[in-house]
Amino acid sequence: MAVLYNFTSACMKNFGGSSFNRQLFCVFRTFHKSAASGDVLGISEERAITPPDVAEETRVKSLREMPGPSTLANLIEFFWRDGFSRIHEIQLEHSKKYGKIFKSRFGPQLVVSIADRDLLAQVLRTESIAPQRGNMDSWKEYRDLRGRSTGLISAEGEDWLRMRSVLRQLIMRPRDVAAFSDDVNEVVDDLVKRICVLRTQQSDGATVLNVNDLFFKYAMEAVAAILYECRLGCLESEVPQETQDYIAALHLMFSSFKTTMYAGAIPKWLRSIIPKPWEEFCDSWDGLFKFSLVHVDKRFAEIKAQLEQGEEVRGGLLTHLLVTKQMTLEEIYANATEMLLAGVDTTSFTLSWATYLLALHPHVQEQIFTEIMTTLGPGRVVTANDVQHLPLIRALVKETLRFFPVLPANGRITQDDLVLGGYFIPKGTQLAMCHYSTSLDDENFPEALDFRLDRWVRKDTTDHVDNFGSIPFGYGIRSCIGRRIAELEMHLSLTRLIQKFHIGLSPVTDDVKAKTHGLLCPGAPINLQFIDRE
Amino acid sequence: MALAAALRRLAPVALGAFPRRTTAVTLGCGSRLAGTRRLSAGTQPLRSDNKVTIHFINRDGEKVTVKGSSGDTLLDVVINEDLDFDGFGACEGTLACSTCHLIFDEEVYKKLGRVTDEEMDMLDLAYGLTETSRLGCQICLTKSLDGMVARVPESVTDIRQSKDETA
Repeated sequence: MAVLYNFTSACMKNFGGSSFNRQLFCVFRTFHKSAASGDVLGISEERAITPPDVAEETRVKSLREMPGPSTLANLIEFFWRDGFSRIHEIQLEHSKKYGKIFKSRFGPQLVVSIADRDLLAQVLRTESIAPQRGNMDSWKEYRDLRGRSTGLISAEGEDWLRMRSVLRQLIMRPRDVAAFSDDVNEVVDDLVKRICVLRTQQSDGATVLNVNDLFFKYAMEAVAAILYECRLGCLESEVPQETQDYIAALHLMFSSFKTTMYAGAIPKWLRSIIPKPWEEFCDSWDGLFKFSLVHVDKRFAEIKAQLEQGEEVRGGLLTHLLVTKQMTLEEIYANATEMLLAGVDTTSFTLSWATYLLALHPHVQEQIFTEIMTTLGPGRVVTANDVQHLPLIRALVKETLRFFPVLPANGRITQDDLVLGGYFIPKGTQLAMCHYSTSLDDENFPEALDFRLDRWVRKDTTDHVDNFGSIPFGYGIRSCIGRRIAELEMHLSLTRLIQKFHIGLSPVTDDVKAKTHGLLCPGAPINLQFIDRE
Repeated sequence: MALAAALRRLAPVALGAFPRRTTAVTLGCGSRLAGTRRLSAGTQPLRSDNKVTIHFINRDGEKVTVKGSSGDTLLDVVINEDLDFDGFGACEGTLACSTCHLIFDEEVYKKLGRVTDEEMDMLDLAYGLTETSRLGCQICLTKSLDGMVARVPESVTDIRQSKDETA
């Protein structure tokens, strides 16, 4: 194996994985067989110790031999037939057609897709100390242009690791994040109030139209409460102007996602001819950064004033970052910007899907309601510490994210040569980890299209789900840093909503399908009824 | 490669230098922020009767005996004692990976305390999981654990290497 591996990589290096390589390989194998049987042909020991049948079975194949759609077919699928919004479905189709590992070309970019949980486990378990997700050149270019720092999403290597080391110590341990329980609960209070206001505006007195709009505001308010230590007023009837401006910038970022994502891929010389994508990209980042700057500076000024007065400074995440100076002010701006960007849509889409699935499966909703009644009763407000006694609420979030993984695929750039699924993958290859496909694979989840919470409920502490099939937050050192905050926001809000309301489908809601818009999101408005319990 | 090596060196330094208990601040429970507390137990002189002996069995099957302080986690011990278990504790005890996976005898396993949901979720993704597996970052040392044995399971890389060698 080792010998063959070395040999193949040598071939790859020398011949660039051309068809000549394949021919040479055949020659080598023929020669090898005769050598092994002939025994004394002066063949080097290395060759002689590999039995021919092993060579047959474990021959490492080249990327060239990997199946996948043709470049032209892909081009038509994505640019002509707007495949970007169906990218999750295409992923599923391709994995069925080409297997668990296949290659695709997006213009000059070669992507190796992995739709197998064991291969995903292999990639994630063996990754280095600073894994790279994908090409972030356009993000970096904007930051260089404006003299801004990179944050956790856009940074790589040593810069990334240093910032990650600071931030993970603050917001990744569940017990540290539990400290935000009261802050988040105040936002949940406002969410409940807002639902009560919104439903009075509809003729049935129960429907809230487009719940994602509501959950977007909830998530934004909750993240800001933790990140900026202030309230934005998103859930008020009159949303403050600066918050509205931010939401507009965020929408611009995502509405032009297709173009902005490729803004960096469009050659720079083309920008003078087609300037719009790059301009919009910069405009939306300007808006996002501006919002963070305002809030970070505001807190910074407060802290300064307190220190000048000789007062004790108390506070949360932002205060800690500003006072301890483990990161520069620019790094704090950049991370506040990127964390807010990453923490709003992701949570709101998942909450929209979770409530939609609850409405579609009333018996599941009743089971959870019963669990909540047993644990909390009708009136007690759930806290972070109660969640351990609400296994069905945890299961609801997991099963929702299995159905609708908010990031249908995630990226990695290989940092070493590796053999994956029998193929030689050279260092620097862009991998796509196909979470959507593995989540809906019957092999990983029996009757995968059934919405079943019991998949996630453990009989006891040794009852384990050996499964890389559904890892919506990723795994390991570069997994989602906001995971525990997002879970807290979802567990607390979903528990309260089920405790307080019966959630039903509104007659004006059709069957809602997912579409990809950067993230996996509802393809149509989800309208739900919130009917008081009691 | 040079970068990777540099980062490997950087990681334990960053961990050691960072005060482990920053929660006081996030909790908003009134600790003074200006002078961040240093609570790295390893740097404080502790009375010897607070020490707990641990026998690690490394991936080569060798026994490594060290002492840790009550209240420290097994991951703290591995870092403080500079034990060379490749890739161990990659996320610095923040429950984002399962690289500090350890295997215990059944007797010891029963004494290790409650497993949280978050730890179980991470154990689901551990390589070579057993019924007496735990994450080292979640095990706090107590005097009753004195003399415990903790086995470091083989990693994915070990398996591949041994396969390569036999081939």
